[in-house]
Amino acid sequence: MEVVLETKDLTKNYGEVIAVSKVSLRVEKSALFGLLGPNGSGKTTMIKMLTGQTSLTGGSATVLGIDVTRDPIGVRRQVGIIPEQETPPSFLTAIEYLKFVAAVRNIPDIETKADWWFDFLDFADKKNVLCKDLSRGTRQKLMFTQAFIHEPALALIDEPLINFDPIMQDVVKDYLSGYVRKGRTIFISTHILEVAEEICSGFAILHKGKLLHTGPVAELTGRNEHLPSFFLSLVRKDRNV
Amino acid sequence: MFELFTNMVKEEWRVHSTMFGSLSFALFPVMIFAIAFMGSFLIPLIQSTLPAGNLTLIVHGTYLMLGIMVGGFGLLGNEVMNRRFGQASLLAYSSRSLPLSEKFIFANFVIKDTVYYFFLWVLPFGLGYVLASPYIGVPPGDALLLLLTLTLSFLFGLCGVFFLSAVYIRSRPALLLILVALCAGVAGLVLMTGVNPVLLFPPLLLTSAFSWANFLISCGVLALLFGIAILLFNPEPVGSEKRFKDSFAPLMRRFSFLPNPPLATKDSLDLYRSGSLVGQTIFSFLLPLAVIWFFLSLLGPFLPPHGLLFLVAVTTGVIGSTMYTWVTMFDSFGPYGCLPVAVSTLIASKLTTFAILQVIPAAFIAVVALLSGEAACLFPAVVLGICISFYAAGIMAWLCGLSPNVLVYDVKVLFVFLILVGIVLAIFTAIAFANPYFAFSAVILVIPTWLMIRRAKVRWDSVDPGGF
Repeated sequence: MEVVLETKDLTKNYGEVIAVSKVSLRVEKSALFGLLGPNGSGKTTMIKMLTGQTSLTGGSATVLGIDVTRDPIGVRRQVGIIPEQETPPSFLTAIEYLKFVAAVRNIPDIETKADWWFDFLDFADKKNVLCKDLSRGTRQKLMFTQAFIHEPALALIDEPLINFDPIMQDVVKDYLSGYVRKGRTIFISTHILEVAEEICSGFAILHKGKLLHTGPVAELTGRNEHLPSFFLSLVRKDRNV
Repeated sequence: MFELFTNMVKEEWRVHSTMFGSLSFALFPVMIFAIAFMGSFLIPLIQSTLPAGNLTLIVHGTYLMLGIMVGGFGLLGNEVMNRRFGQASLLAYSSRSLPLSEKFIFANFVIKDTVYYFFLWVLPFGLGYVLASPYIGVPPGDALLLLLTLTLSFLFGLCGVFFLSAVYIRSRPALLLILVALCAGVAGLVLMTGVNPVLLFPPLLLTSAFSWANFLISCGVLALLFGIAILLFNPEPVGSEKRFKDSFAPLMRRFSFLPNPPLATKDSLDLYRSGSLVGQTIFSFLLPLAVIWFFLSLLGPFLPPHGLLFLVAVTTGVIGSTMYTWVTMFDSFGPYGCLPVAVSTLIASKLTTFAILQVIPAAFIAVVALLSGEAACLFPAVVLGICISFYAAGIMAWLCGLSPNVLVYDVKVLFVFLILVGIVLAIFTAIAFANPYFAFSAVILVIPTWLMIRRAKVRWDSVDPGGF
């Protein structure tokens, strides 16, 4: 199977603080891969390193065959990203922001595509509202749209369902599952374990920057084990160590 | 209720000190003090060509200008945090969940900023002069009085512009009316009494003859201006939605000749819709420059022919370079982190927007040249001013990247900036004084500017983009 994301001994230190320590991962094409971990475990730092938003202290990472250290812009050109905090520019309206993204990414036919997304995520009534005046949920919809509007081969999403109401969570979960069925890959980081268990095909558990486990979700199901209890036992064990 | 203020002060300190270390931030006022202390020893030399009274006027004018430049709080409104620190949730924003009125929070924010500016700029500068005064034959009492009147000058600039900017946000015709009434009042006074209106500026009245009555009246006027400005503050109700017709695509087509049309379009919309383009132009550019032009005009008899115009051009160039901070204040790198955009591309786009804005200083210098009957020197003056503005902005981009508003308080950054800009100012002012047409030689600054920008791109691409 084709590997779309690979890290070898990936490490990030902020001064004395070790945010991520020697993490080695492989994510195959068409996977919906979940990076799980408690708050402060290094999930966001991992996504930032994988998308060239922060430098690597050690190790290496390739995304869609591109070395993130050598060509971070190349990585960001190919993938879709939803950052942890939704931050569309304040003084553009929602539709203008999508046009801005389209212009930067050279996406053709943006009007049609944007209209489809406004309808799909049910925020067409907000298309002319300034981003700074949008609610958190609507901003998240806008950020979701910008990440998928160019139909990237790989999308990296930090907490995909945060700020969405239950109905929208359902819509988004269905969309993500359908997206990987089309041969594309999704890498999400979350600490909502039930969601990860429901939609992910593979997962990795991070704790205090260290990789505790990685493997397919089916492996747990085969053992009649649930992801939340497996996660908790592993993290608690590591905490005691 | 004092807790909000003290915690805002702590927060401001930590925002800056975490950016570049507590020591660098703490040394900032020390450097201002040192500059003032050493500069004071030049006063006896300057006094040999310039009467002490004129020197006092210029120094008060400078403090008034500093106050004017930082006093546009009325423009911030309830965007105060988003615009200064991106998405960071600071006290001024998060305190809205406390049982405190927004006017009270805003008043605390303004007072905190005023206190910060006072301790960072005003007090160290004044103390430098006070401590140097025994060595230059100035009685300590006079030096202390000067410290007081300079503080008042700063506060008059700050409170005056805070009041005017608050009126501007409420009603532009009202601002126009007030400005017209002010000008008419001053003109009427001059016509009727023949008194130079500058001499009626309360801090100057106090300098020439201190009286408690004048001092209290000054304080009363300041409190009145500040109080009215706070009362005029009208935050947008939470949940209000501003809607705009889609202007992005048409504007981008107009900007298609620029290097990065989408980014330039976004920056232009930010400037226009935030109200900054007009507001900043009036309160952070035209007003301070008009004041400095007025005060510099008092130096006219002591300057070479055309000297005043070139002094205004150079000053306009320096203040014009601060337009780089206008275009970088709206966003952090955060919103671009999910797009294929490098920090160097953003710096280039901000400098492109900055270049477009240079029409404003160019027009200002041209107007000054025409109004002062120096039309023959218009072109060299404009070239000098704009070249200096680009050069200073290039240095700012190299030293501060996308965060000039914050990194200016890093003492190392400020020191290097002052040295690199100061030397060039001195050289080109002298050259222009020697012969107005020599001012064209300022185009040579294109080379260091280009080099600085190139280095800025390499430097800031290799640094992890910060959150602020």
